[in-house]
Amino acid sequence: MSNIYLPNLARIVKTQNETYDTRTFEFELVDPKAKKEFKFKPGQFLEISALGVGEAPFGLASNPNRPETFQVTIRAVGAVTRALHAKKPGDLVGIRGPFGNGFPFDEYKGKNIIFVGGGIGLCPLRSLIEPMLDARSAFKDFLILYGARTPADQVYPGRLKEWEKMPEIRFGMTVDVGNADWKGNVGVVTTLFPKLIQTADNTVVFVCGPPIMIRFAIIELSKLGFKPENIVSTLERYMKCGVGKCGHCAIGHKYVCVDGPVFTYKEIGKLPEKS
Amino acid sequence: MDRYIIRKDDLNRWVEALARTQEVIAPTRVEKEIFFAPVQTGIDLNLLSGTAVLPYLPAKDLVLPHSENLFKFTKKGGDYEITVPEDKKTTVVLGIRSCDTSGIFWLDKFYQENFSDCYYWQRRNNLTLVTMACNQPAKNCFCVCCEGGPFLDSEQGEFDIQLVDLPDSYLVECKSSKGKALIEANSKLFAKADPSAVKTREVLEDKSRKSFPPDPTSYMSAAIRRITSNAVTPETWTELGEKCFDCGGCAFVCPCCSCFGVGYLNEGEQGCHYRFWDSCDYSGFTREVSGHNPRGEKGERFKRRFFHKLSYQYLKRDGRIGCVGCGRCITACPGEVGMPSVVERLRK
Repeated sequence: MSNIYLPNLARIVKTQNETYDTRTFEFELVDPKAKKEFKFKPGQFLEISALGVGEAPFGLASNPNRPETFQVTIRAVGAVTRALHAKKPGDLVGIRGPFGNGFPFDEYKGKNIIFVGGGIGLCPLRSLIEPMLDARSAFKDFLILYGARTPADQVYPGRLKEWEKMPEIRFGMTVDVGNADWKGNVGVVTTLFPKLIQTADNTVVFVCGPPIMIRFAIIELSKLGFKPENIVSTLERYMKCGVGKCGHCAIGHKYVCVDGPVFTYKEIGKLPEKS
Repeated sequence: MDRYIIRKDDLNRWVEALARTQEVIAPTRVEKEIFFAPVQTGIDLNLLSGTAVLPYLPAKDLVLPHSENLFKFTKKGGDYEITVPEDKKTTVVLGIRSCDTSGIFWLDKFYQENFSDCYYWQRRNNLTLVTMACNQPAKNCFCVCCEGGPFLDSEQGEFDIQLVDLPDSYLVECKSSKGKALIEANSKLFAKADPSAVKTREVLEDKSRKSFPPDPTSYMSAAIRRITSNAVTPETWTELGEKCFDCGGCAFVCPCCSCFGVGYLNEGEQGCHYRFWDSCDYSGFTREVSGHNPRGEKGERFKRRFFHKLSYQYLKRDGRIGCVGCGRCITACPGEVGMPSVVERLRK
């Protein structure tokens, strides 16, 4: 019987500072067999541990089509994330997973695609954006909307600039508060909706960000005619085990770690407590 | 299923013989309380009578210990060596009551689905359950409303061996190979049961079922219906939640509660990750590092606990409600919001 609580060791290949408190880590599994077998679906997550300090769930943020190395983006806020931030390339961490249902990639083929990301909420969406761009012709209109508090809070600034220039996608970016260098949009991400969202027909929209942003995004999307089954998000809970056993992430009879983290708003609406 | 008789005088001979080759756990008096504890030479037969006597804690720690190491690690240069503890000991628990046996089978199902839990199954596969049927329920018992007792069904029941306290002997019902092994190794202590013993068993079970007071949980189905349809108002949950002390006692004494937390130790170059009993009553259970807490309110936590135990959504998933009617939460709760009083409140 395989041991679902035992981590695989992974080495930090490189790190990239995204903002003042947020850093992207690229890992590879140490064991050659585990490395070869490792694959993941967009939207899945890992339990990453600084051994002896703690373990926490993180959404995979890189392209599942290239699983030899994989990335997560981590903001230093608590004991585990600070211990991970203290690690350097070459250092080891514990990895369990990937866990969770992930996005059903094939179900979105032939549809218009919209991403609405807020702050660090762009990270799990990136694991879906990148493979969709690999298969761009399978999807119709492709729109990415990204909002951050300030220009300094934007994750993946390099990649954002590339997306902005790509002719095959439409892209909108905004900040809540600008600065002297910022020439772009100022305002919350929903202010981009009237300018850039063309239709709710045959369109699926992926929303991820802080709870307040999600709440207002849903209200605005509903006004534009989006049905709950076409609004998709990833829920967050402090998932201790990641395998549906510890009970911490339960919402009603759903376990975010096993039944989620990807849910449509139709599914979320049926839960007996607020999500 | 095979039926035997063992004389009361011979029971402790059987215990002694079993204890020579494996660990035997039985209800044991420790000062004023009763706990499941290892026995060597014999057990207190007063605790193995037809009258329900429940140890303060259920036997769930035999499969899900209060805390256990998941793995140890030792730092070696830039590398880690990781080792997993093994527990290969075989154990017989003798005198576990129907409710606690039902609780272990509820855990079995949970620890099997989705991902199988190897630490749980390592212990569970080496555990044999010798259940004692209850001819007479105790004051707080309501197993009859939860399909948790007072007898387990001879054919469908979830036990290896079930003992029934007859006037001068025990009836022994055996329905698994693990149970059979315990009898065959000591076959001279057992005689085939005659039809009169089986008849007596039936009379005792019938009498036991009828000896429950009429009120404790005739309301169970109403509570299940109201929780399932989300008909219980937030005000009711808040009112109940206000009586809760957040002590977690109900979860710890519950045969079905299995939520755990994970802890981490690091001393110098080595350390471990371990898990421990946790409770959804605690305000920190869902709190995130940002301070955001999806169930920060007591009433919401209270709703969570009883939704898990009584909603049809879980009933459908697990095949039974998450309560076996042992009544321990009544004893443990300082706020008088154990299962029966909550059920009674919810039906209104």
